[in-house]
Amino acid sequence: MNSKKFHLWDLPTRLFHWLLVLCVLAAVISGQLGGNLIDWHGRIGLLIVGLLAFRLVWGIVGSSYARFRQFLPTPAQIKAYLRGEWQGEGHNPLGALAVFGLLGLLTAQVVTGLFSNDDIAFVGPLFELVSKNLSNRLTGLHHLLSNLLIGLVVLHIVAIAFYGHVKKQKLVKPMITGWQEGDGESATGGGLLALIVALAVAAGAIYGASGAWLPEPPPPPPAAETPSW
Amino acid sequence: MKSKLLLALLTVTLAGAAVAQVKTEDAIKYRQSGYGFMAWNMARIKMNVEGQYNKEEVIKAANAIQAIANSGMGALYPQGSDKGTGWEATRVKPEFFTNKEGVTKVAMAFNKEANEMAKVAATGDAAAVGAQLGKLGGTCKGCHDDFKAKK
Repeated sequence: MNSKKFHLWDLPTRLFHWLLVLCVLAAVISGQLGGNLIDWHGRIGLLIVGLLAFRLVWGIVGSSYARFRQFLPTPAQIKAYLRGEWQGEGHNPLGALAVFGLLGLLTAQVVTGLFSNDDIAFVGPLFELVSKNLSNRLTGLHHLLSNLLIGLVVLHIVAIAFYGHVKKQKLVKPMITGWQEGDGESATGGGLLALIVALAVAAGAIYGASGAWLPEPPPPPPAAETPSW
Repeated sequence: MKSKLLLALLTVTLAGAAVAQVKTEDAIKYRQSGYGFMAWNMARIKMNVEGQYNKEEVIKAANAIQAIANSGMGALYPQGSDKGTGWEATRVKPEFFTNKEGVTKVAMAFNKEANEMAKVAATGDAAAVGAQLGKLGGTCKGCHDDFKAKK
């Protein structure tokens, strides 16, 4: 085996992907179990906000195969792909649809989560900005989207297994090592400056989503007690 | 005949006294009030666990939850009250009225943890209260997941 290979996925894209896998898994588990884990669910959600913000910027300034413009599929490309005529490296047109679907759904999921409440003792960090009624509706949406999201993740995994076993295309290995077998062109771009910009935007997004900038509600005096009645 | 009528009247009156007839609309209001009031107390406990801990405050809140949990709120779910509006439209699922076994299970789990919460609160151990708050919240979720409709 002396086959050629080229650099497909840059390190930030791979790190993003696998951190997102861990975070989504942790978010699903903590959300289902509830109890005190709901506080962790909120923290993980903020981390996912950062990851998504990073990926959205990286889709513009990252290295070539990670850019949205590179894999944004046209209907013609999708048709060509379904006929088996598509040629290219990186996300194929159908895979690209899944990427946009997952990123879009996840974004909607974290945004609704920020305003949610569980009618027990948890509220999202931006709950203060909306009415209880709107928060309830967003919470309902958050539950609905979680089912869609789990469905799409399952589809994503089934598709990878299908490519691996039936089409003999290993998709997981390049996402780990970054290297793809074949003689495509190696990824370019996405230097240090781009990385710093993407990380800065991610940090800003986490800060914004955390509600840390919200005016503090006037704290009750430390020794305050409710009246005896 | 007369005595039979009297007896019937008496029975009805006594039965009426034992289980006060509550309008569906009021029943929904009462139960929504109960849950809303418990939510306030849950939030109070959480605030104390996360911020400066005040033992007396937590005891008040835990006792309030315990009292409501043991008040027999199940009586506020008369047949037909799966639909209707109290302070707002009820969100109880129809399954609540068909799955008696499931309802009893989540309700008893909640009662158990609410009683435990009051006991733990009395000790003033903030860490234990925090852990118990999680368990108690988990039993709230147990019922919400199965019997409370999402908006």
